[in-house]
Amino acid sequence: MKTGMLSLIASVTLLTIVTGCSKDPLNHLTDDESRIYITNHDSTASFTSFHTFSIADSVAIVNNNQAGGKDQSPYDAAFISAVKAAMIKQGYTLVDKHNNPDLALAVTVISNDYSGIISYNDYGGYYGDYWDPYYWGYPGYSYYYPSYYGVYSVNETALAVDMFNLKDASSSSQLKNIWTALIRGTGIFNSSKVDEQVQTLFDQSAYLKTN
Amino acid sequence: MKTIKIFLVFAICAFFISSAKAQSGVTKVEVGYSASFPTSSFKDFIGDASYRGVDLRIMHGINDKLSVGFGTGFQDFYQKYPRQVYKLSDGSDISAVVSNSVQTVPLLARVQYNFVPGNRVQPFVGAGVGGNMVLYRQYLGEFGDSKNKFAFQAQPTAGIYFPFREAGSTGLTLSGYYNIIPFRYNGSTNLNSFGVSLGISLPTRSY
Repeated sequence: MKTGMLSLIASVTLLTIVTGCSKDPLNHLTDDESRIYITNHDSTASFTSFHTFSIADSVAIVNNNQAGGKDQSPYDAAFISAVKAAMIKQGYTLVDKHNNPDLALAVTVISNDYSGIISYNDYGGYYGDYWDPYYWGYPGYSYYYPSYYGVYSVNETALAVDMFNLKDASSSSQLKNIWTALIRGTGIFNSSKVDEQVQTLFDQSAYLKTN
Repeated sequence: MKTIKIFLVFAICAFFISSAKAQSGVTKVEVGYSASFPTSSFKDFIGDASYRGVDLRIMHGINDKLSVGFGTGFQDFYQKYPRQVYKLSDGSDISAVVSNSVQTVPLLARVQYNFVPGNRVQPFVGAGVGGNMVLYRQYLGEFGDSKNKFAFQAQPTAGIYFPFREAGSTGLTLSGYYNIIPFRYNGSTNLNSFGVSLGISLPTRSY
């Protein structure tokens, strides 16, 4: 009997220790590691045929799939400047939007809220185990616990950069998107990371060059 | 380290309560620490060995050589790959730190054959067949994809049992085994791995 109990204790102890030692991937990520950078482009576009570009001076806001106006915070300005610098580094020339640029660039902040409801009433039934109504001076009474709900909300924000072909707009009668980039993850609005984030987008888009 | 200390405490306790009896009719619990090494296509998903595992077997002796029973346990596999650019099927490029994580919980019917019962060193072979509760997760940055599945599992085993006393029912068990787990998802075809386990065998009651 003693042996059986020992076996049980040994088993449960080992199981508890080992399962508790499991590595949760999310707990082993830094903010930098949490971010992902996605880029895509029009495979028919010849990026070497473009030479000039212009970029919108403010950032478009899209909240829950609805237009939310424009913004020009210090962070927005820094991000736009970083995109300008990266384009110039790739050989493109920055021109005013009135000087017929070949390319147009725009930055967008996309924000989505997700909400849900969680029920808290389950623990109400345990009150009597901790404080019998006798504790309050009401022996023989019982607790009444109505259904309460908690609402939680999660916000997720992403940064997008889009490039449009203005050079061929007249012939196609449309401003065709030829490059898009998206940044998601923790800390994307950290000002000290602006240059690094923009550079990552351009590093993985080697086709963005004039020659 | 903590696991090893606790294991040693149980091993010492077990030594003092062990007794010299044959295995026939004896039901034993074998609990041990396990490490596992991914092989085959599982190695492409997680190349790192897992040192976070436990084995638990309950075996009943049909006779001195043959025992049947049940096996379970837990193994945690994890690997984080440095940031890299991946090409996706839609033509997009994604730069991400990829974290792969797999937890397995086998539920196996087992049979074991002991070649030389009564010896101080008792080699054995065995096999387990059943299923495995698999929790499979892949994260690109903080964005994850998961798949829970009850997969088939077979587990050929070989090992050595060292009784604390000659022909005793209590002792140490060192075993090696191969986990065969077909698992088709997201490019993976299996979660095969080689495992080793060092455990203690205890009868469920004193003899």
